[in-house]
Amino acid sequence: MTGEALFRVRDLEFSYGAGRGAGRGAGRGAGRGAAALSIEALDIGAKERVALVGPNGSGKTSLLKLLNALAVPRSGEILFEGEPASRSASLRRRSVYLHQHPFLFAATVAYNVGFGCARLGLSRAAREERVAAALARVGLAGFGRRRHRALSGGEAQRVALARALATGADVFLLDEPTASADTVSARLIVKVLEEEAARGATILIATHEKSLVEGFAARIIRLEGGRLADDSGAHA
Amino acid sequence: MNEAFGLLLSGDAETWAIVGRSLRFSFFSTVFSLVPGLALGLWLAKGDDRPRRAISAVIGALTAVPTVVIGLFVYGFLSRSGPLGFFGLLYTPSAVVIGQILLSTPIVASLVWAGLSRVDPRFDETVSTLGGRGLAVAGAVLREGAPVFAGAVVAAFGRVTGEVGVAMMLGGNIRFSTRTMTTAIALDASKGEFERAISLGIALLAIALVVNFTVHILRPRNDR
Repeated sequence: MTGEALFRVRDLEFSYGAGRGAGRGAGRGAGRGAAALSIEALDIGAKERVALVGPNGSGKTSLLKLLNALAVPRSGEILFEGEPASRSASLRRRSVYLHQHPFLFAATVAYNVGFGCARLGLSRAAREERVAAALARVGLAGFGRRRHRALSGGEAQRVALARALATGADVFLLDEPTASADTVSARLIVKVLEEEAARGATILIATHEKSLVEGFAARIIRLEGGRLADDSGAHA
Repeated sequence: MNEAFGLLLSGDAETWAIVGRSLRFSFFSTVFSLVPGLALGLWLAKGDDRPRRAISAVIGALTAVPTVVIGLFVYGFLSRSGPLGFFGLLYTPSAVVIGQILLSTPIVASLVWAGLSRVDPRFDETVSTLGGRGLAVAGAVLREGAPVFAGAVVAAFGRVTGEVGVAMMLGGNIRFSTRTMTTAIALDASKGEFERAISLGIALLAIALVVNFTVHILRPRNDR
């Protein structure tokens, strides 16, 4: 692990249906009430590039959602900057989670991306500028007026990434960000992630993509059956 | 039948006044049931705990209560000897609207709850992870739930327009005051005057068709 510990996970037990949002798509492959994730200790440092790997149902999605306080553990603790993640205003401000199949609001692309920066209290002009800049970064300049339904899977994924960028977050928790993307979209997504990493962002990616694991990640965490099977950065 | 159509097409003043009054009562009762109905529906859709399950069961039951029972219940409150008798509302348009609000509120609540329960679970997560709050969240909920809300409103409007129990018991079917399409049909048919009853029946049928067609149009695509 490099840098300061940003996330600290201790004695984490998570099962579907155990808490808010826990049973609502936190992952697949386990029934309601089954132990989906059990992690004794895991630290993620600031500015780390981490790849979460493992077979389907191994708990990658659940772990990302738990780190973003979108799911509640049955027991144990998840700290963000030393504070419980579920109560951390800093976590909500600094981090953003991207679904494997992103949810876009039934509206225009501009509305979707603008939603991400609504919390920043910007003027309308500043918000529009930020939206345009975020869309340009993901190669979708001029897409602002398009409806969400008119987008391909790869474009939707890039819109979701633009929306995340517009929040100003510097901690990205990404679930299979290139899984539904075509080659062009996947390349753009990786390029943007490289840029964010170079700026000092912390990036965790759940992925099956070998190229992402080998080319992007500096640390690889393998989950199997909801447990840490291997962590290349555990003793670094 | 020709005479019935004639009453409608000739613009018979009393017939159209009854239609207009029915729609007015339905409009106000639907509007006034929106706030409690939407609030209740939203609250029910936000979780699945024991109090919510109990209240949703009660609301589900209320949607099936015969209108005459609701009329009787409100009658008990509004009659001269009832706790609200001093307002003198019985047999006034206000009494009909109050009864119809009680009729339509559970319908709005249950349809909003049912509709929002089917909203993609990623919606909540997306709003949370993006740090949505206040007006931004309200706007997003309205946007995602718009077909659900509109469908609930139209369905409630249809239900109160076609009800007879509340209008009869609380309005008293007073000519030029509380007579609605359904109470007028009941009265005219009992007197053997079928022309107006049939003309009002045609108007009611037309309204029901428009309402159902609108509900169908507004229903989220994946429900069709």
